[in-house]
Amino acid sequence: MKIRTKMWLMGGKIIGSIVRLAGAGGGTTFPGKVVRSLHPRFVPEVLSGLELGCVLVTGTNGKTTTAALVADILKTANIPLVHNRTGANLMSGIASALIKQSLVDLEKYTKLGLFEVDEAVLPEAIDETDPRIVLINNLFRDQLDRYGELDTLAGKMKASVEKLSPESTLILNADDPLVSSIGAHLKCKVIYFGINTDAYSLKGIEHAADSKHCSLCGTRLEYGYHIFGHLGNYRCPKCGAERPDPDVFAESVRLKGFDGSNCSIRTPAGNMELWIPLPGLYNVYNVLGAIAVSLTLGIEPEAIADSIEQFKAAFGRVEKIQIDGRKLVMILAKNPAGFNEVIRALSNIEGGLNIIFALNDNIADGRDVSWIWDVDFENLKGKISRVICSGIRAWDMALRIKYADTEAPFLWIEPHVGRAMERLIESVEKDGTVYVVPTYTAMLDARRILSKKGYVSPYWEE
Amino acid sequence: MRLVICHLYPDLMNIYGDRGNVIALAKRCAWRGIDVAIKNLGLGDRISPGAYDIFFMGGGQDREQIMVSHDLCETKGESIKREIEEGACALVICGGYQLFGKFYRPAEGKEIPGIGVFDGYTIAGKKRFIGNVVIESCLEGRRTTIVGFENHSGRTYLGKKERPLGKTILGYGNNGEDKTEGAIYLGAVGTYLHGSLLPKNPALADFLIRKALKRKYPGQQIAELDDEIEYLAHEHAIKRAKRTH
Ligand SMILES: [Zn+2]
Repeated sequence: MKIRTKMWLMGGKIIGSIVRLAGAGGGTTFPGKVVRSLHPRFVPEVLSGLELGCVLVTGTNGKTTTAALVADILKTANIPLVHNRTGANLMSGIASALIKQSLVDLEKYTKLGLFEVDEAVLPEAIDETDPRIVLINNLFRDQLDRYGELDTLAGKMKASVEKLSPESTLILNADDPLVSSIGAHLKCKVIYFGINTDAYSLKGIEHAADSKHCSLCGTRLEYGYHIFGHLGNYRCPKCGAERPDPDVFAESVRLKGFDGSNCSIRTPAGNMELWIPLPGLYNVYNVLGAIAVSLTLGIEPEAIADSIEQFKAAFGRVEKIQIDGRKLVMILAKNPAGFNEVIRALSNIEGGLNIIFALNDNIADGRDVSWIWDVDFENLKGKISRVICSGIRAWDMALRIKYADTEAPFLWIEPHVGRAMERLIESVEKDGTVYVVPTYTAMLDARRILSKKGYVSPYWEE
Repeated sequence: MRLVICHLYPDLMNIYGDRGNVIALAKRCAWRGIDVAIKNLGLGDRISPGAYDIFFMGGGQDREQIMVSHDLCETKGESIKREIEEGACALVICGGYQLFGKFYRPAEGKEIPGIGVFDGYTIAGKKRFIGNVVIESCLEGRRTTIVGFENHSGRTYLGKKERPLGKTILGYGNNGEDKTEGAIYLGAVGTYLHGSLLPKNPALADFLIRKALKRKYPGQQIAELDDEIEYLAHEHAIKRAKRTH
């Protein structure tokens, strides 16, 4: 590392301590912002000495979980890495992670950089980190007020992966037509992953589905089966574009509610019978992506399987908390596709549900809340005992529930998420379960309140 | 009583939760004992005279908008204009609104023709207009606020005699210059306020239902509904718009 870069690394650490001492929050991205603005080549220069290079993980849903899975696998395999663990996934977050986690002689102790990056930041991240592996998990409609249109986003991603060298590997979800189309005609290696079973296939396409048309010719795609959203086994009847055969895939999946699933997974390096301790089909995709990354880095299938079975979710994605003899299950839902998966899991639970839907419209949630009308709340018909709508946009959420005709006997509005949790917990019997489904900043609010009362640890990491 | 909603190009023009508007129309009819049928019309489908009472079209991405423009001009445009002249109503949003105008001129490439229900045209702009919007409108002589969310880069300019849907109080509206938002001609309403517009603007939803009934069942009144949650959501959306501007 150049002397100048080392000095910026030290300088960044000092800025970070000042920010923390001043009590201005965690200061997660501020040092990185300052250092990058004064030394634009900071990230590439710090990373240039890494023996194993960099891995970038992106996609609308699951990037934090997928990156956390890869990080666990690498740690178990004794590969020291830097990782932007806190979900700070813009370039300033990457720079901050480097400042916080690395010593001045970084290359001596660290072999690999693992970064979760925002979809819109991928081109910039590829330029600055020269990655050896890029994983794109899925592209769903998410915070369109920030990204503009999905097609435009996919086009920018495609242009940026064209720069990857023949030694690099691009890992793509075969089941997402927009993502898989990015893999055509590239210099780099391309690996696909997917789910090869229609056991949980949906009858019709969900309303949240985004990319139902061929990205080459615009014709409506035909589906052999749907997994969720626009993911599935698709084919264009006009130009013949179709789902590529995946290299890493789940041959069978048995979902076990909010606990996890059993999967049979096939890979070129061998097969795995795997217990995935994370719920829903979306986590099966996260695990498949993490397996593909780890295999590309040369890790043995047995070691990968061991780490996955021991995995604990990044906080808030799904968290189970004991409160006065009741169980509170918190499940983050930040866009229609993710929300529909949560609803699918909830609708499979026996007995009347007690639920809080907490909807915020801060910048990190997306200012526009109309996406909740693409979520199929109708599938909860007859399943709810009590529902409280909460958050800054509690009233919009209440309207959505009203128009979904769920037949919930109790529908309450309580914008304060802390009071909403208190009220719902009081109203259920001992040993009962309440579900809290918040958007991103509502989840942070809920967690802050629970940690003040000592029910959860305030920290992001264990 | 029975109303038929024609959802135009639901799988091409469906960005930003537009489905909420169709749900709102259907439920508000159902709660009053009015039967509702929703017919989805796609590329190539034709419109038979008198078959539909309410037309609905949402927004789409650029590629889809071009496909829809061709199809509208070739197979449906003239019929839709005739139906509106004869008392059918329509709600068209974002891209749908632009295609109900005379044309859309993109930053590059050819002009995309519209069907000209509204006397207005749209030109691509650089900066996207994004955020909460509040407008002041007058529907059948009743003053009302309408609240929603806009996200568009097109600038729409109305002809001198064309009536806007309302006056922009917060947000950009048609073009960010003249304080107009949307357009209204007979029973046809065009607007940039997308997504769940009708659920929290019950006055606008009922305006469309009343217009549609008037053509088919003249003199028919509609029952008041319990709109407490609707108006709470409406009021809080206005408060939120003030805070985010
Ligand atoms: Zn095709």
